[in-house]
Amino acid sequence: MKKLLVFVLVGMVLFFAGCAQQQPQQATTPAGPKEETLYFGAPISLSGKFAEEGKASLYGMQVAAKWINEHGGVKVGDTTYKIEIKYYDDESKKENVQSLIERLATVDKVKFILAPYSSGLTLAAAPIAEKYQVLLNSHGGASDYIFEQGYYYVVQTLSPASKYQTGFLDMVKKLDPNAKRVALVYEDGEFSRAVHQAAKEYAEELGFEIVYEKTYPAGATDLSPILNELKATNPDVIIGGGHFADGQLLAKQLAELNINVKAISILVAPTFPEFYEALGNKAEGICGPAQWEVGARYTPDVADELGVEWYGPTQDEFLAMYKELAGEDAVPPYQAAEAAAAVLSYAKAIEKAQSLDPAKVREAMNGLKFMCLYGLWQIDPETGKQVGHEMDIIQWQNGEKKIVWPEAAATADPCYPMPTWDEKASGATCGS
Amino acid sequence: MAFVEQLIANLLYGAILGAVYGLATMGLSLIFGVLRIVNVGHGAFIMIGAFTAYWMFTLYGISPVLSLPLAMAAGMIIGVAVYLVVVKRLVDAPELATLLAMFAIGIFIEEAAKQIWGANYVGYSWEIGSISLPFTEIPYTKLVAFISSILIAAAVYVWFRKTKLGKAVRAVVEDREGALTCGIDVNKIYALSFSLGIGLTVLSGVLVTLFTPVGINAYMGGEYTLKAFVIAVLGGLASPWGAFYAGFIFGLIENGSYTLLGLIPGVEPFGLTRFVSFVVLMLVLLLKPTGLLGGE
Repeated sequence: MKKLLVFVLVGMVLFFAGCAQQQPQQATTPAGPKEETLYFGAPISLSGKFAEEGKASLYGMQVAAKWINEHGGVKVGDTTYKIEIKYYDDESKKENVQSLIERLATVDKVKFILAPYSSGLTLAAAPIAEKYQVLLNSHGGASDYIFEQGYYYVVQTLSPASKYQTGFLDMVKKLDPNAKRVALVYEDGEFSRAVHQAAKEYAEELGFEIVYEKTYPAGATDLSPILNELKATNPDVIIGGGHFADGQLLAKQLAELNINVKAISILVAPTFPEFYEALGNKAEGICGPAQWEVGARYTPDVADELGVEWYGPTQDEFLAMYKELAGEDAVPPYQAAEAAAAVLSYAKAIEKAQSLDPAKVREAMNGLKFMCLYGLWQIDPETGKQVGHEMDIIQWQNGEKKIVWPEAAATADPCYPMPTWDEKASGATCGS
Repeated sequence: MAFVEQLIANLLYGAILGAVYGLATMGLSLIFGVLRIVNVGHGAFIMIGAFTAYWMFTLYGISPVLSLPLAMAAGMIIGVAVYLVVVKRLVDAPELATLLAMFAIGIFIEEAAKQIWGANYVGYSWEIGSISLPFTEIPYTKLVAFISSILIAAAVYVWFRKTKLGKAVRAVVEDREGALTCGIDVNKIYALSFSLGIGLTVLSGVLVTLFTPVGINAYMGGEYTLKAFVIAVLGGLASPWGAFYAGFIFGLIENGSYTLLGLIPGVEPFGLTRFVSFVVLMLVLLLKPTGLLGGE
């Protein structure tokens, strides 16, 4: 009976609070230590073209939430909050993202939202979050453009797009000062445009010559027209790609058309094991930027050396917990780690702010700096853009994904120049 | 010279792609021609074919060429099942009902595929070498796709023209009531045409992977559904060989126009190739509203 009474009373309080159109202050109720559930909302692409990336990011979030809950939850005053992820399938569509953010903010009364995957969807989500003054933490939207709109409630956990291909260019410059001719072939989308516009500027700064630049539409199933043209420009280095399917296609058709260059860096696709499965040893030597990679060097010891605080699971813990959710053989891609980092950054910032008010938490984020398995987390107070985190460059060598750049993080030396397609056809790999 | 060479290279690829497009549209046209049902879930069946090729190759090392009859058979069985469970009840229903039903079936298949095979983009590498031309390289796998498409389209043509069943199907297309009075079991013809249409569509999924052996995913069909509709309309909607013929033209336009559009300074030609394809479609419809090979 007592339970029922409490239930009815709480219901009435909530009802009246709603009538008065006031934000119910959940943390102000008196009494001793309490446990409550705090929901982080998330539109997730469980179907549609980002289903793969969306699923990985959801697992990452759930792992982080589980770790936080197992390690004392999030404490605000006397209340301990258990974190739970409230998610809906956005079907990889902008329209759905916008209505889901609205739903999370108004119906579910969620104050902290984890952005959807991809820059396009995050860009659609940002104005809605800003309108309802709920925080939006971008873990899959790298485009710099999102953070140049003057939004206050939008922050970033992953490295911005402008940093994606710059490490690769640094690497090539270091390895071979004679490789000058760069060709850009990329998907016509917010994210890949942002990456490659920045890469182009950076390449020119480093003294590279841009010999070719063309885009292809999303969903293209044949890139031969663009590649036939590219072949004639005789580049030393190719950078390009966009998302998963087109990145696979780009590598495949470069091989088919026998276009040999010294180094290739493709967005997103090479970071997935399916890339190697689909291409076989044709994938040898292909590089790609990764926000994170299993084996990355971030540990509590490194954090100690740098004098920053460590928070969250270690990599081994993360891998084990990820397997519990995603299956025995599952290896988390970087989408999982960055989503986990976003959850951790919310938890950390809420504790720092000692408040569930999005404005106060956003303010606390300005001075927040910590390291987790994903790397450093620190934002630019002005724009909310991530400035702490660094990109890794991975390369397929002998059937394995190795980190080859930055040098401090590298697990192998870069294989340069990469074997030609003919050499690969007769079985050559990067190690041989 | 570079320009001419690129144009030739693109037209060659366009021709190969066009043949695959054509075959991938025949099933759609056949089903519309006989049953007057627009298969909005078309792409989902192509996806099944693509996965058939992928799994047969990855698990058992079976070459995609041998997967062709297998995919055809699997497609026909799925076709009969869908016909008996859903379509049969809707043959005389308003068009919207069949439209929605096919749409739902498409979504159902895609989601089921995602549940069973996961959301990963997979691919396979069937390496059988390539022809080196002075201006481009053409892998034999693409040639196999090209030749198979033409042979299968020809076989379908002969079946329609020469066999009794084929003639019966044509009779139903021509005049349903008339066919009925001549003693043709229209229901049987419906079931047969539907399963044949789905069979051809699933089979074309195998050919699609011969052209693009990567990016195989539960949602890969959408792109092909859109193109198949354009091609089907271009070819006169109810005519399977019109569709094949139109697919060929569509492929040539899509790839060939790239080189021409590239001559215009300051434009991104690739994004415009689809635009050009649709402009051609509109022009054809203006000049010949029944499509290229459409009847009266």
